[in-house]
Amino acid sequence: MANVVLRSVNKQFGEVKVIKDVNLTVEDNEFVVFVGPSGCGKSTLLRLIAGLEDLTSGEVHIEEERVDHLAPSKRGVAMVFQSYALYPHFTVRQNMGYALRVAKESKETIAKKVNDAASVLQLTEYLERKPKALSGGQRQRVAIGRAIVRDPKVFLFDAPLSNLDAKLRVQMRIELTKLHRSLNATMIYVTHDQVEAMTMADKIVVLRDGKVEQIGAPLDLYNAPDNLFVAGFIGSPSMNFFDGTVINTSNTDVEIDVKDSVKIKFPLNEPSNLSTGDKVSFGVRPEHFTIGNTNQGTFTGEVYAVERLGGETYLYLYVGDQKEVVAHMSGDQKIAIGDMVEIGFSLKQSYLFGPHGDAVR
Amino acid sequence: MRKFTTRALLVAAALSASVSTLAASELNFWSWRQEDIAAYEKIIAAFEATHPDIKITYTAHEAKAYNTILTTALAGGSGPDIIHTRAYGSLEAISGAGYLEALDGQVDLSLLSADELLGTTLRADGRIYAVPFASQTVVVYYNKDIFDANNITVPETFEEFKAASTALKAAGITPLANGTADGWTVEIMSGAIMPNFYGSGFFGEVTSGATDFEDARYVGALEKMSELAEFMPTGFEGVDYATMKALFTSGAAAMFIGGSWEINGFRDAGINFEIMPGPAAEAGGERMVATWLDGGYGVNAASENKEDALEFIRFTATTPFAQMLTDELNNVAAVDGAMSSDATLSRVSSFHSAATPYIMLVAFRFDTPTGSTLLQSGLQELMTGAKTAAEVAADVSNGIKTAE
Amino acid sequence: MSMTNADYEKAKRNRTLKLKLWLLFLILPPAAILIVFVFVPMGSAVWYSVFDWDGLVRKEFIGLANFQDILFNPLKNKVLFNAFMNNVKVFVSLMLVQNGIALVIALLLARNPKGYRFYQVVFFLPVILSTVIIGFQWKLFLNPVFGLVNKFLHNIGLHDWALPWLGLPETALNSMLLVNSWHWFGFPTLVFLAAIHRIPKDFIEAARLDGASEWRIAREIIWPLMAPAITIITVLTFIGSFNWFEIPYIMNGLEGSPAGSTDMLGLMFYRTAFGSVSAGGSNFGSGSALAVLMFIFIFVFSIIATKYLTSREVEMN
Repeated sequence: MANVVLRSVNKQFGEVKVIKDVNLTVEDNEFVVFVGPSGCGKSTLLRLIAGLEDLTSGEVHIEEERVDHLAPSKRGVAMVFQSYALYPHFTVRQNMGYALRVAKESKETIAKKVNDAASVLQLTEYLERKPKALSGGQRQRVAIGRAIVRDPKVFLFDAPLSNLDAKLRVQMRIELTKLHRSLNATMIYVTHDQVEAMTMADKIVVLRDGKVEQIGAPLDLYNAPDNLFVAGFIGSPSMNFFDGTVINTSNTDVEIDVKDSVKIKFPLNEPSNLSTGDKVSFGVRPEHFTIGNTNQGTFTGEVYAVERLGGETYLYLYVGDQKEVVAHMSGDQKIAIGDMVEIGFSLKQSYLFGPHGDAVR
Repeated sequence: MRKFTTRALLVAAALSASVSTLAASELNFWSWRQEDIAAYEKIIAAFEATHPDIKITYTAHEAKAYNTILTTALAGGSGPDIIHTRAYGSLEAISGAGYLEALDGQVDLSLLSADELLGTTLRADGRIYAVPFASQTVVVYYNKDIFDANNITVPETFEEFKAASTALKAAGITPLANGTADGWTVEIMSGAIMPNFYGSGFFGEVTSGATDFEDARYVGALEKMSELAEFMPTGFEGVDYATMKALFTSGAAAMFIGGSWEINGFRDAGINFEIMPGPAAEAGGERMVATWLDGGYGVNAASENKEDALEFIRFTATTPFAQMLTDELNNVAAVDGAMSSDATLSRVSSFHSAATPYIMLVAFRFDTPTGSTLLQSGLQELMTGAKTAAEVAADVSNGIKTAE
Repeated sequence: MSMTNADYEKAKRNRTLKLKLWLLFLILPPAAILIVFVFVPMGSAVWYSVFDWDGLVRKEFIGLANFQDILFNPLKNKVLFNAFMNNVKVFVSLMLVQNGIALVIALLLARNPKGYRFYQVVFFLPVILSTVIIGFQWKLFLNPVFGLVNKFLHNIGLHDWALPWLGLPETALNSMLLVNSWHWFGFPTLVFLAAIHRIPKDFIEAARLDGASEWRIAREIIWPLMAPAITIITVLTFIGSFNWFEIPYIMNGLEGSPAGSTDMLGLMFYRTAFGSVSAGGSNFGSGSALAVLMFIFIFVFSIIATKYLTSREVEMN
């Protein structure tokens, strides 16, 4: 059971708190992605698990064993660095076998494990090369191979794809997912790219300012973000937010006025503590807009930019004084810059956030 | 423009002509004796009083750099009119190159001994290129207060010297201030100890080639020298010249073997000292002091005022000059006839009745490696016990024979 | 006003000319300095070395006789060999002691200990002091009678250890080497530290995750990756060792006292070329020949060493 459990983990650099009371469980064989904007503490959290940083307080458990007092190499984790950190003076074979050599494994065992990993990663023909003679993707695979060879309980990835070009990144994403399935290993993956998080993760941990904002399966985060931050962070392009004011509340719905023009009656699944006059944010994802009036709600805006990709179209509109409202339509839309367009939405696919950013459901 | 230049030249020429006819000739006099500036200015003033048409400017350069400064100037065709020269090998470098005026026949040298003139004679042509000015003598300084306080009688023989040293050592006093860190100070020390063992005949024989430094007399003298190591300061191997002087002037050491030029310094330091020649080999044996000529006064062969410069050089070969040198500088003047009012200096002069040339400097400093280099290195090895007297003698002897 | 083809060509030529003039302006001054202060003296040393110049006046051309004299005259080549072996000893010792200590300190400082900046400054301080002052100061410290070193040894009861450090053939050179190491170790420390800082932290963390001990990391990861710094320091130490002059001259004199145990090629050159009170007159011919031999030796070895050491350097990325 190679699970990872963090309990009340705190980390301070001097006076600066970078990780604030993080509690988290990574199940065995789970692929968990830590995601968040730069500086949110996601890499630090990963390094705390690896043991490259010491905890200020809290506990780290791996496979039901407390490890935060152990040296990195004793925790049963392997890490793939953003820079790959391949030793430039070693060949691929030496790089991949280094940990085994340090562990004083026999020559035969090392050769076998390295060869096995190399064949899985299609690196066999590059084994005698130095990292300098490899492409970015190949180096990436060597870095992963170095981790695989160690047969760790937990794989840690620190933004491993950020140095690759877009095409290679997509390819590696799929390969990593495949690898996860074939290795049946617990993996923790750090990225600032929510697309990587959405496509690869079994479970996403959204971090901001050292705090966990929400933990959940990708589509749960997409469909039911707990707060304004997660709602804005997950999904691309980001959710559109409109400032509004509560004008009426009841047990079943909340009536809000958005920009003195549009009045929306937002249905409630659970009681809210909103009261009249509260400032709220109303959110609609770009892909949930449709052209033309709907009965549930409609904004009217002037188009100031159109991006036509053939299969899909992005509209950028001014709605009142609100700039940059994005609408995502499938197919090609016959809309030109300067057109006044009505965009409609359904109440089922819209979101309401209270004065403190918490989701109202 | 052209007219102006011509006219300016004419005026300048006229001016310079009138200056040279009206004013006294100006002579430059270079030396390395920075500590003697005041005394030399006095001496020069005395000379100028009788020669109103000659003006001499004395310039003293830093002693270590003097040879380089002087030779560079001479090689560049400039240089002073009057040159304070060193003696022996150092003088040959300049006189051999033709930079000095030969003085024999131009200057009356009758008040100088042949031994002294040897130091300023160029071996190649046998002519004399400088008037010898003063000699240096190796003596043993001893602290009278320490001797009295420990009831030590002044030793006469080497055995007495060792006995006195043993007594001093037992009393907690370092008998000898000498160290070996600076090679030249060990050579000086050998100049006090060794001659009385190798004897007065050795110098002539070794310079003529009748014997060499492996001679039993020389080896024996070296052995005696090595017997003194135990009376030198603890860690004498690292004691340099400055430390030696500090040990003696502070009263930490009772004796100091050194050159006669130390007299002034020791007197200024206020110690109650007296000097003696190196101890005799046995009772009634000769007590020779090693001496050498310190240098001389020469004339730049390229000087424009050669006759005036020679006039000053003639003055340096007279007794009045020697007397001033003695009075002002406490030097043992090379020129005869000067009487010293200084008791210690008179004693140094009196030691000269049994003088022997300071062997390596006087006779073996013409080729490389010099006898001094070989002996200094050998003595360091001898005193520290790294080599035996016979090995050192062999090294010195072979070195001198192989030198060009 | 449209430009013709010829106008464009002219403007282009003009631009190249300007660039060339600018490059010339940049190159000329250092080239001039190099020629006047390096090549001309070097050339004249070679020129002087083929003349009989024993004394003040240059005499006739004698071909390679000066070289022959230095290399094959049994007395001189004995001195030469002794001095050369001392220089070799200086090089080996400085590599081990001075640069070894510097490496250890650099490895420690690279871990950002508390007071890191302070130590860095303190360790570098002796480097900026004048060699003359350091030589003189340590000569006083090592004085057997008044020196602080022996006083200290006596005070802590190590009476047998209080030796005349500079006076014994067995300790004189070693003492001077320690002084030189004390004087200079801050420089290699700084160079090594910069080299270690240049190694991405990831390499070391990766190795740590791979289970390598600190010693193993230093030996297998840091050491090979700081090869360029090792090359520079090795070659500089080599050149410095074979040109070593100031400390031996100040602390033990021109003759390499005691008994030649601290003699160096540099001292021998000085004595030969310029003469000294004990060593005799100047001989520019022989001195120049020795200087030429020293130059050829240092030059050739530096190039071989640089070539060899550079070949084992790896690029970091």
